[in-house]
Amino acid sequence: MYNMRKRSEESCICGEGILNVMPGYIYGNCGRMQMNIIVLMKQVPEIEKVRFDPEKGRLDRSSAGATTNPFDLNALEAAVQIKEKVGGIVTAISMGPMKAEEMLRDALARGADKAILLSDERFAGADTLATAYTLAAAIRKLGAFDLVICGEKTVDGDTAQVGPEVAEFLNIPHAAYVEEILNVSENNIVVKARMERSHYIMRLTLPALITVTKDVNTPRLPTLRDKIRAMRAPITIWRYEDLEEVADPRYFGFDGSPTRVIKVYTPSAEKRLGKMISGSPEEVAREIVHVLIKNKIL
Amino acid sequence: MLNECGVLVFAEQENGRIHGVVYELLGKGRELADRLKKSLCAILLGYNLWDEAKELIYYGADKVYLIDHPSLKDFDIVRYKHNIVKIVDEVKPDIFLIGATRIGRSLAPRVAAALKTGLTADCVDLDLDEEGNLIQIRPAFSGNIMAQIKTRTKPQMATVRYRIMKPLNRDPSRRGEIVVREPILLEKTGIEILDKIEIGGVNISEADVIVAAGRGLKSPEDFKILEELATLLGGVLGSSRPLVDAGWIGREHQVGFSGNVVKPKVYMAFGISGAPQHLFGMRDSDIIIAINKDPSAPIISVSDYYVIGDLYEIIHPLINEIKKVKGLVK
Amino acid sequence: MSPKIPNAVIDDLRGIVGDKWVIVQRELMESYLKDETPDIIRPKPAEDLILVKPSSTEEVSLILKIANEKRIPVFPVGGRTGLVGGAVPTEPGIIISLERMNKIEVDLENMMAIAEAGATLGDLIKVAENAGLFFPPHPGDEGAQIGGLIATNAGGARAIKYGVMRNYIKGLEVVLPTGDVLSLGGRILKNNVGYDLIQLIIGSEGTLCVITKAVIKLFPKSKYMVTLVVPFNTRSEALRSVPAILRSGVIPLAIEYVQINEILEAARHLNEKWPVHKGFAQLIIILDGMSQEEVLAACEEISRICESNNALDVMLAETPEEQNRILKIRSNIYTALKPNMIDILDVTVPPSCLEKLMDEVDAIGSRYGVYLPAYGHAGDGNLHVHIMKEGIKSMEMVKKIKGEIYEMAVRLGGTITGEHGIGKIRLGDLSMVLSEKHIEILRGIKRVFDPNNILNPRHPL
Ligand SMILES: Cc1cc2nc3c(=O)[nH]c(=O)nc-3n(C[C@H](O)[C@H](O)[C@H](O)COP(=O)(O)OP(=O)(O)OC[C@H]3O[C@@H](n4cnc5c(N)ncnc54)[C@H](O)[C@@H]3O)c2cc1C
Ligand SMILES: Cc1cc2nc3c(=O)[nH]c(=O)nc-3n(C[C@H](O)[C@H](O)[C@H](O)COP(=O)(O)OP(=O)(O)OC[C@H]3O[C@@H](n4cnc5c(N)ncnc54)[C@H](O)[C@@H]3O)c2cc1C
Ligand SMILES: Cc1cc2nc3c(=O)[nH]c(=O)nc-3n(C[C@H](O)[C@H](O)[C@H](O)COP(=O)(O)OP(=O)(O)OC[C@H]3O[C@@H](n4cnc5c(N)ncnc54)[C@H](O)[C@@H]3O)c2cc1C
Repeated sequence: MYNMRKRSEESCICGEGILNVMPGYIYGNCGRMQMNIIVLMKQVPEIEKVRFDPEKGRLDRSSAGATTNPFDLNALEAAVQIKEKVGGIVTAISMGPMKAEEMLRDALARGADKAILLSDERFAGADTLATAYTLAAAIRKLGAFDLVICGEKTVDGDTAQVGPEVAEFLNIPHAAYVEEILNVSENNIVVKARMERSHYIMRLTLPALITVTKDVNTPRLPTLRDKIRAMRAPITIWRYEDLEEVADPRYFGFDGSPTRVIKVYTPSAEKRLGKMISGSPEEVAREIVHVLIKNKIL
Repeated sequence: MLNECGVLVFAEQENGRIHGVVYELLGKGRELADRLKKSLCAILLGYNLWDEAKELIYYGADKVYLIDHPSLKDFDIVRYKHNIVKIVDEVKPDIFLIGATRIGRSLAPRVAAALKTGLTADCVDLDLDEEGNLIQIRPAFSGNIMAQIKTRTKPQMATVRYRIMKPLNRDPSRRGEIVVREPILLEKTGIEILDKIEIGGVNISEADVIVAAGRGLKSPEDFKILEELATLLGGVLGSSRPLVDAGWIGREHQVGFSGNVVKPKVYMAFGISGAPQHLFGMRDSDIIIAINKDPSAPIISVSDYYVIGDLYEIIHPLINEIKKVKGLVK
Repeated sequence: MSPKIPNAVIDDLRGIVGDKWVIVQRELMESYLKDETPDIIRPKPAEDLILVKPSSTEEVSLILKIANEKRIPVFPVGGRTGLVGGAVPTEPGIIISLERMNKIEVDLENMMAIAEAGATLGDLIKVAENAGLFFPPHPGDEGAQIGGLIATNAGGARAIKYGVMRNYIKGLEVVLPTGDVLSLGGRILKNNVGYDLIQLIIGSEGTLCVITKAVIKLFPKSKYMVTLVVPFNTRSEALRSVPAILRSGVIPLAIEYVQINEILEAARHLNEKWPVHKGFAQLIIILDGMSQEEVLAACEEISRICESNNALDVMLAETPEEQNRILKIRSNIYTALKPNMIDILDVTVPPSCLEKLMDEVDAIGSRYGVYLPAYGHAGDGNLHVHIMKEGIKSMEMVKKIKGEIYEMAVRLGGTITGEHGIGKIRLGDLSMVLSEKHIEILRGIKRVFDPNNILNPRHPL
């Protein structure tokens, strides 16, 4: 695993490190370490406003605005909290259409220091593999990072795959479904992640990636002032050409995507069956058990 | 042809116990492999799992690739990934299925990225087209739409939701082969599992089955009978607000506008009238079964199955019948 | 009046609505015997009640005809979310629930909803949303029914910009106690023929007629909406900002006033987190408009006003999730406090007098040695004061505290109830705000509509 932990240039070396300083390890002011944290954020349609037409099997996004994938606000909040505790820089990265700039501006209002949008027609139509590949390329291009934080999943694509795939492309350890960040130190992070029937307490060596659930925190609201300031903040745009040098462009976008959505339909309107079960209590019981078996509960 | 692997199934285990979804995947995998006229394989990682490997054969696998080693006892995702990739490279399956559990959904994308292949998430159905390519069907947009997805690369990988596919009946006379492979040993993976804490208590918002009671319940003690039912079904107890307010059951069980919003596979409502504030919390359940004395109760008109009658007359026979099916009583 | 309903009448009712929709067993109608009024002050329901669930206006009419002939009291109920016992059947009689009459149609061109009275507020919000339209106010719990909302002229949080229920109702279909059906108004915005019976019926609390259908004005969906949460150290600073905001030319949908203890309690109750922990007093301000620029400019104006009153911060909720969470927690303060509550008041004063009222309420509280948590629709001068169980020694004491608060509201040019109504628990307090003559006129009106006094008969009118 090659070391991606080159420290950002603007940080300075401070003498009295609280931590046991590795040679060349760079600290920010006042002995605080400088964490480079990257947050991956996706803009999604306002799910409540997307209209699903079961009769025609269509979905109509026209009345829905765009918003930040809600889990990604938790990811951002986690990053900002770590920054506030140990010092550092939070960079928000998104891949998407230019419209996603507004989401990234919102991220700046909520505490991100930098924002990068990967936007190019040649990135479009990406499945999770291509999305993760492109995001990983951008992270690699940035050069220095300690921690990547993703949301657990999105509310549109809903796959929860991008995070672990990015980790694999970066060749770093990851933990999914993180519900609590227990400790962050110079070279590792301790998290509580939810697996099936147990919580795993895991220590990940940095650099690492985590995906967070809604339980990890409650995202703060931005102040109006920060919001308005951020409205004018510049967003760095990286296009195909910017990433070509750090990756194999054959894996970008639609052409680089191994999966194909061949058909989308809305399940027939949830008409309830409304079936009456009658008979003696024993007959009723048998009928209910039958329903439970049919639905694989038994 | 038959010694080519058509379908590979990841046999997830925790603490040496195979997860239920694996048997379901073997059931579906068997069907797909037969249609492809190829074999069904499973891959099992862990420690001391010889007996479990045999179980996989009883449930339909032709071949089980077993890597049995102490370092694989716990789920270290990086270690698992390396070992799985090695087997996949050897076996070259057309299709690779993994349960859409949290472990599976964390592991599968890592493996897919390592193999640079496509992965479809959380499938609820699988089929083959005329050319034998996998058609993967999955919900998206928070469950509001269904998508059909095909994968251009091999293996065609999918995670599949639990309690959707049908397992085969266990057949100890089935023959198959257990192929033992050496582990890839890694000194450091960057992951240390410091502790594993069992999750006790309810997590009603994630439960597959909710047995809920309302004011039709006559006394707090009666929750015990419902709890027995819930436990038999692997579910948890739910409640309408009045019983919570009366202190009969904890607030974490309350379903509704001022309680939890739940989305189980089956929601059983015993003696709940179905006030809008209650419906708000459970209307997205897959199947709603209502038991109510009053044919005019609003819950009836939103249910899939309803019983007009006294919950007290139905609950015991129901528990009995379930025990019979589970082989707990004759 | 006959204490028990004759079997023949029950058979007739079954004939009208079908066997299944006439409920006579007490245990099956428990939830129709109360509303959301705190237990201690809620009137007791009578024995010998039957519950009918008609499916059409014709059925309602037939039921009322029989009841009127036989002089049987009738209690129309809605979602039973009322807070003044209005829906509690206090005499032997017939409860009519319109829950099956819950269809809503939208007339897109005229931007109106035609809703049956049993549809819920939640249904209306959803149907409007699906049609690309908007029902601006949030006049109560979402389980409340159109009939109940109209019968109580409910107000709620988002009433500043476009008003309370009264301002939305353009037409009504009602059934009089005699069984006659009246169709009033329609999908028109202006109407000047004769006395305005629609306005008379709105707020009549089920004493004049049973409402079966309504034409409700909708608005275009705003393109952009935000919710501000503004914390202040003191109540005075928060409340002083309100009239200034209203005068500034910015017209928010809502300005709500909350205090930190109660709002945190409500969040805990829901297992949610309240996003702003600063300060003692907070304003929740909802704004909408055509574009982000327009709305944020208005926000800046509000921010200037609040900051000149020492606001600690101005926080902005923009995502639908965050805004919904704020509204949900705000809407559940009552639910969270209810277990320890004796009564909820909804006194209303001119908006500029709200601070004075609250100070007086505090003074009353400390005089009696009790804490009186308060919050309210600050933009409307409408304050919810809660009398909690803690420190209360007798119902006599409750009465005194209530009396003093009412008196204070009236003295400030206000009234004893701004939205919940009189119901069955404020009968004695009417004379504080209405003159003899006024009450006499109201009684006369009641007699014209309901000569045999069968609809909600315990009402003073
Ligand atoms: C109906 C439908 C079904 C689909 N099914 C599949 C499928 O089964 N397999 C598949 O490979 N693709 C699928 N896709 C494509 C997939 O949705 C897109 O690749 C999408 O860009 C990323 O996937 P996701 O939304 O599921 O993200 P998830 O993997 O659920 O996202 C997890 C986290 O990754 C980060 N993230 C995700 N996308 C971005 C981004 N663009 N920019 C920055 N950060 C990001 C965020 O932190 C997010 O919280 C599907 C698309 C549709 C419309
Ligand atoms: C702001 C607000 C928030 C609320 N939030 C919630 C919430 O989160 N969750 C919630 O549940 N409620 C909530 N409510 C309360 C809600 O309005 C109803 O009062 C409540 O759901 C009714 O509970 P129930 O169905 O158990 O009782 P009831 O409505 O009394 O119904 C009992 C049912 O049991 C049936 N029954 C009686 N005996 C038997 C028997 N032996 N066998 C079978 N059936 C029998 C009866 O026919 C009846 O249908 C809220 C209300 C408000 C105003
Ligand atoms: C959590 C909570 C928050 C609330 N917030 C607000 C608020 O912000 N603003 C506000 O104004 N109120 C509020 N309320 C009070 C309540 O929601 C409203 O008063 C609502 O209008 C009552 O409607 P309902 O359908 O529940 O009526 P019910 O309580 O069932 O009945 C109220 C009255 O209306 C009569 N009635 C009902 N239906 C009809 C009909 N079809 N024809 C004739 N008469 C009828 C009844 O006889 C009764 O007198 C709140 C209540 C709760 C529990």
